[in-house]
Amino acid sequence: MNIKRLISITVIFSVLTVSSITTVQAVSDDSVTVYSSRKEHLIKPLFEAFTKDTGIQVDYLTGKGGALIERLKLEGSSTPADMFMTVDAGNLWYAGSQDLFQNVQTETLKSNIPAYLRDPQGLWTGLSVRARTIVYSTQRVEPSELSTYADLASPKWKGRLCLRTSKKIYTKSLTASVIYNHGESKAGEIISGWVNNLAATPNAKDSHVMNAILSGQCDVGLVNTYYFGRLIEKNPNAALKLFWANQDTTGVHVNVSGAGVIKNASNAKGAITLLEWLSSAKAQAIYGSLNKEYPANQNIASDGMVSSWGTFKQDNMNLSQAGILQAKAVKLMQIKGYK
Amino acid sequence: MPIFVVALSWLFPEHELWAHFSQNLLPGLISSTSILLIGVGVGVTLLGTILAYLVVMVEFPGRKWLEWALFLPFAIPAYVLAFVYLGVFDYSGYAQVWMRESLGVPGFDIRAGSWAIILTFVLVFYPYVYMMTRASFKRQKINLIEAGKLLGASPLKVFFKISLPLARPAAAAGLLVTVMETLADFGVVSLFNYDTFTTAIYSAWGDFRSIEVAAQLASLLVLAAFFLIYFEKKARGQAKYYSANVSNTKPYQAKGLAGWLITLFVLGVFMLSFAMPMLQLLIWGWESVGEEWSAKYIGLITSTSVLTISAAFITVGIATVLALPGRCKQDSLWLKGVIRLATLGYALPGSVMAVGLLYGINQISAISMYFSGESINHIIFGSIFLLLFAYVSRFMAIAYNSIEASAQQIKPVFTQSARLLGATRLRLIWQVYLPMMTPGILAGGLLVAVDVMKELPATYLLRPFGWDTLAIQVYELSAEGLYERAAIPALIMVVFGSILMLIFQGLDKKTSKTS
Repeated sequence: MNIKRLISITVIFSVLTVSSITTVQAVSDDSVTVYSSRKEHLIKPLFEAFTKDTGIQVDYLTGKGGALIERLKLEGSSTPADMFMTVDAGNLWYAGSQDLFQNVQTETLKSNIPAYLRDPQGLWTGLSVRARTIVYSTQRVEPSELSTYADLASPKWKGRLCLRTSKKIYTKSLTASVIYNHGESKAGEIISGWVNNLAATPNAKDSHVMNAILSGQCDVGLVNTYYFGRLIEKNPNAALKLFWANQDTTGVHVNVSGAGVIKNASNAKGAITLLEWLSSAKAQAIYGSLNKEYPANQNIASDGMVSSWGTFKQDNMNLSQAGILQAKAVKLMQIKGYK
Repeated sequence: MPIFVVALSWLFPEHELWAHFSQNLLPGLISSTSILLIGVGVGVTLLGTILAYLVVMVEFPGRKWLEWALFLPFAIPAYVLAFVYLGVFDYSGYAQVWMRESLGVPGFDIRAGSWAIILTFVLVFYPYVYMMTRASFKRQKINLIEAGKLLGASPLKVFFKISLPLARPAAAAGLLVTVMETLADFGVVSLFNYDTFTTAIYSAWGDFRSIEVAAQLASLLVLAAFFLIYFEKKARGQAKYYSANVSNTKPYQAKGLAGWLITLFVLGVFMLSFAMPMLQLLIWGWESVGEEWSAKYIGLITSTSVLTISAAFITVGIATVLALPGRCKQDSLWLKGVIRLATLGYALPGSVMAVGLLYGINQISAISMYFSGESINHIIFGSIFLLLFAYVSRFMAIAYNSIEASAQQIKPVFTQSARLLGATRLRLIWQVYLPMMTPGILAGGLLVAVDVMKELPATYLLRPFGWDTLAIQVYELSAEGLYERAAIPALIMVVFGSILMLIFQGLDKKTSKTS
């Protein structure tokens, strides 16, 4: 290619680029802007239904929870965001502790969502409940062998356990609950026991844990129930079952996905409308059918498949503990060599 | 700039966290990172150099076709290759299931130890060494090798005594890029759950909310990169490698069985690094195309293209200015320092660079707030300026190395004769340097474009509304374990990347004919 032609193309292109980067997106006044660490395919159907019901447009930006929190902190009062939506109580608690949310306690929210799934100061609201419990091979494990999370550390599970990586927030929150229920030194022993029992390097994803059990690499694991639901939807005959952990003691570890209204929101009113709508029976049913999670609104029934797994006792640890104890949990897992 | 921000963090030490890290994490991480780097480094150097030597110096069946096919794996993002390999070769993958059921081989955890992850990195990154050593072998004077043959040296001896020493600088340059990419990787290491130095950076930032310790660890990474670059330059020494006349006759003819064995080996590498993963992606894509394909892909492709092309143009523009010959002589150590710094960004993990940028921007914004009373954050976050800045900082090394290599081939005699004929410096640049550097400029631009297209962490953090890319779509779906659906955007990326690589290869052919 002739170098002069190349340079003229460059000049034309630079002009185009500069003009395209200077068109700062204009956000219309009544639309709501959401930053979300929930993936696009899980939130888009909800927002579309909301727009259909209320006529309010929703713009959203997805990202990793921690990174979006940093971005919100830096954008400060000039942020375009009206709402921050994320998974895990630890993340919600941290966003609250960084002064990103405003206090929202409306009658609708109070009647739709039970108090233990909301921040005590009204900074954030849980919108769906996810349970993390034991999954086992129906071919190689009798349910009578199973009991608690702590029991998975006992020598009888040597070489039979698969776990998800300690770098995932769900593992961190579960470990935080183990610390909360057993104290730090007992929790350390439990983690060491888990690590000793591993049949494979901790997996990157819950779906990998279940695949490992199905292929015979290990016999038991820990997963969020909706991953199990997705697997069963695709493969109804999979030789896997859920076991509700800690039913005679503290109950199954639960976590939430949720949202809060941004302190500096330019459309706080719209964001509150959206938050209330998300807590309504209609939205909660969409949550359940989209992702096989448990509704946070206790007035509605779970999705058909989800309710077929039966009811269970939940751990009533205040969810903000997951945030408060998170750093301790990570440290402990790093010390004990849980990768 | 991100590097300065990262360096400044040493002013704010945090002792408690450092004690935990140095006691419980760093010893293990340093050894696992070293094993990974040594394994990947040795692997890519061997594989890349041998492949390049074979396609340049030896005639064997299918050589012409395989010579360009070996470029293609560069188009596959490392994290995509990693999830394909895990899907096929992990304990529950069908390759292992088949081996257990039909051959009775006991199953094994491929993520244990480091051989599988090393192999993955080698197959993703060998094209760097292959590209660079191939170009260097092509420039080697055939008569040197013919002389070696006449003196009775065996092919192996010619390889080790003549070809390899001459190709050493090129191999070192490819190795350097590979090592920096491996250090910065986050996608492959998290899928394999293999801890490296980058793991500690993320832990400091994500778990302990300490941006300072994260930045301090990152600055160690930059320091390591600085030494690597220094030793690479040192190893290259003062030697100048000018291009020679290229001949199209191959010094060696591999006939019969030997030829087919070579074909089998080269074809095997191509199958494993490109054909097999593509086939798996096609199968997955076929299963999910109805569910996943929608009109939003038009937007994803548009924004990916705009970002890719803009970043490539800007990066190449700056790199060309930095690489113009004759500058370092007149100008100073200072300029050399600036160039080194500008190319260091490559070793920083994308998200560390992004966070460094965010903090830097925040300072600038605070200053502007002080003077004008208005925050400029919404302009910065509402535009792709910041993102382009991150791309340019991160991929400068790629463009610069490629352009500098072509600048080095401008023999001083051209400059001298042009000067004697009374050319001004501007005319010299316009009529002598730029035309001669064109191949390097185009090659650098294409490589940067492919890299930007594959880039994930910085894009994810810094993009404004409506600028989702194909890489982000791949990530969001694969993060949920939906690999079948993630195959769709991944395939589109690989197709675009392959087209770019083929253009690259075409250019390469043209220039080697005319030079």
